[in-house]
Amino acid sequence: MVPELGSFAIILALCFAMIQGIAPLFARRNTSHFSKQLSTTAAISQFIFLSIAMLCLIASFLANDITVIYVREHSHALLPFLYRVGAAWGGHEGSLLLWCLILAAWTVAFILFADKKLPLISRANIIMILGFISSGFIIFLLTTSNPFQRNFPSMLVAGNDLTPILQDPGLIFHPPMLYMGYVGFAIGFAFAISALIEGKFNQEWAHACRPWIVLPWSFLSGGIVLGSWWAYRELGWGGWWFWDPVENASLLPWLSATALLHSLIVSEKRQSFKGWTLLLAIITFTLSLLGTFLVRSGVLVSVHAFASDPTRGIFLLCYLALIIGGAFLLYGIRIKNFYQAPSFTLLSRETFLLLNSVILLTAVFTIMIGTLYPIILDALNLGKISVGEPYFNTVFMPIILPLLLLMGFAPHLHWKQHAVKTLWKKFHFTILFSLLVAILAPKILGFTFYWLTFCGIFFAVWIMLATLQYTYQLWKLRKKIELQYGSMIIAHIGIAVIALGVTINKSYSTERQVKMLPGDSVALAGYQFTFVNVDETRGPNYQAITATFDVQKNSSIPQTLKAEQRVYTSHQETLSKPGILVNPFRDLYLALGNELPDGGWSVRIYYKPFVRWIWTGGFLLLIGGLLSLLNYWEKRGNNERA
Amino acid sequence: MNVLKQTRFILPLIIFILIFALLWRGLNLHPNQIPSPLIGKPAPTFSLPTLFDAKKVTTNKDFFGHVTLMNVWATWCVACAEEHHALVQLAQNKTVFFYGLNYKDDVTAAKKWLKQYGNPYRIVAVDQDGAAAIDWGVYGSPETFVLDKKGMIRYKHIGPIDTDSWEKNLKPLIEKLQHEPV
Repeated sequence: MVPELGSFAIILALCFAMIQGIAPLFARRNTSHFSKQLSTTAAISQFIFLSIAMLCLIASFLANDITVIYVREHSHALLPFLYRVGAAWGGHEGSLLLWCLILAAWTVAFILFADKKLPLISRANIIMILGFISSGFIIFLLTTSNPFQRNFPSMLVAGNDLTPILQDPGLIFHPPMLYMGYVGFAIGFAFAISALIEGKFNQEWAHACRPWIVLPWSFLSGGIVLGSWWAYRELGWGGWWFWDPVENASLLPWLSATALLHSLIVSEKRQSFKGWTLLLAIITFTLSLLGTFLVRSGVLVSVHAFASDPTRGIFLLCYLALIIGGAFLLYGIRIKNFYQAPSFTLLSRETFLLLNSVILLTAVFTIMIGTLYPIILDALNLGKISVGEPYFNTVFMPIILPLLLLMGFAPHLHWKQHAVKTLWKKFHFTILFSLLVAILAPKILGFTFYWLTFCGIFFAVWIMLATLQYTYQLWKLRKKIELQYGSMIIAHIGIAVIALGVTINKSYSTERQVKMLPGDSVALAGYQFTFVNVDETRGPNYQAITATFDVQKNSSIPQTLKAEQRVYTSHQETLSKPGILVNPFRDLYLALGNELPDGGWSVRIYYKPFVRWIWTGGFLLLIGGLLSLLNYWEKRGNNERA
Repeated sequence: MNVLKQTRFILPLIIFILIFALLWRGLNLHPNQIPSPLIGKPAPTFSLPTLFDAKKVTTNKDFFGHVTLMNVWATWCVACAEEHHALVQLAQNKTVFFYGLNYKDDVTAAKKWLKQYGNPYRIVAVDQDGAAAIDWGVYGSPETFVLDKKGMIRYKHIGPIDTDSWEKNLKPLIEKLQHEPV
């Protein structure tokens, strides 16, 4: 009964999505507001019914209704409560439902909170476009991936259970956060299309659009960070970024959205870069959809692809062609209306923000080539390969390092033009000091000196100092820091923190793989790891062997570290749950391997300096983004009062 | 000059069309079907107890003299349940020797399963710790291997067998192998 209700709710949501898309088409001719209101009401109803569908799916999981194929494949009678809720989006069908639900939620948010200065016609257009996007996805959901599809198995089975790697609190937060990010770019896309249709793009437009780029961008930053953190804890070998196609699929829209954020500022403040902003808005959403396609169609190797249905890929690709092909065509035809001759000199904030876009798009392009390269080779019959970390690290670094250098300068520069001389005068101390830190820091921390590490530390410290210098000047001038500047400062410092974390982590991480018997002791990076004992423990749906270690530095008080080797009862699948000792400057990470015939255990120990900085920086991006929203909210309040 | 400007605006569309064409082609490729390095090679040697009689041992000698369909399965595997019914029916034709490898499973549960839902296999080997499966390059279940009369691996099918894959790939191959000399 509940699954049928869910199916029915999705069908109703589809009807409402279609009304939402089609009704405004009649509004043009009809002066009454009826059809616009109809479209708005339809959007809200769509959201309500998709929420009902999601609740029905969660209810099916909680009841462990194995007649629902999707539940059968992702749940198990022993699966703990929390993971059953998360399992609702742990597979293809459910995550698509989540996709649709989040799009509907964004649409409702837009209806409720969009800038009042945005003309009614643009508002109607945007809701209409979102209606079309949503209709396509719900049709996809219903025809190829209905999560409520049932069959009554000829034999009673216990359910396939959720993959052990997904059985982590990360599952509850990471996918929704990530989706709130890249689905949210649909609004920016709809803004761009409506501007192209109307042939109008002014300051109000840019101002109204900004929060709808900043907010998804913040969520995407947070989502990527959560994903990285989750992988670090679950995969058991201390890596935090793997350049896996699925990760790249989330990084690509993030990079292009970062470019868009900055280009939009120029459009708002300087009435410039209009064509560029529109293009970036389209590209960002394209990359979101492309990511969904890559992850969902099985064209790239991913862990769970053997049940992937070819019609899904075909449908998604056709949908992509329709929406994005149409958007680029519209762009090609209409963009000349927005063309302006550039009106700034080489050394100006505009140039730097343009460089920012160019560099970020270059990065997008190189990562995309790397991600698609296996398909390119396979398509040309040149064999099956996979592109891994060495490629990405080699190409990404030289592209992104200059950007870090520019980041320090950009906020200080004037619009239109800036004199070179004043720049040197302002920064020579900052640059010298950053150089000094970069040279001395490895020595003070007791690390070896490498040139690449030197560059990384230099850029990170440079961004921090230049940004702080900017903050200080701003404060001296105005005696306060407005939210809009505050958010930029926090986000830029976030990037510096990430850069520092990545540099030190990549340069100075060490590891040892050893065989240990209880009582043995091993040293790594000045720490003494003593194997105390092994113990058998039991979880709700697994049995575990817990190994206890004492960790000690220079005969200080020992700390206890526990690592587990779990065997999940449903599949007899083993999962190594590492033990991690955290402090701001280093993680000690220990993964328990297999038991050896002589009673010893294979143990991997990692020393990961500054790894927390990477995620801290990521959360600073999230905070910065949310702060700028607060600024927008305040201004919106003022507008209403005025 | 004007033409150049026009093409510049249409450039994103062109790039998009190129990527579209590539992805369209990509959909017809199968990145997961990594050709098994074992194809054309003799089956890896093993010696395992059988399911219904733990004292009896089965080795790769059991593949000799007939075309074999070696199916890796377990009771915890939902996809195995999906293909099980089809396997039972196919086994009734007796065109091919069905050999089962019970993979990392509970022996009692496996016995009960076969009694309840039918046993398509002539021999079931028990690979409790999955060591034999590693030699076979099994990375998921179900997986199915087709072996010729000399005990050479000729084909590997990943995922459940359905009528489509049976009619298209497995059946023609098995018929061809039946005509090969021992």
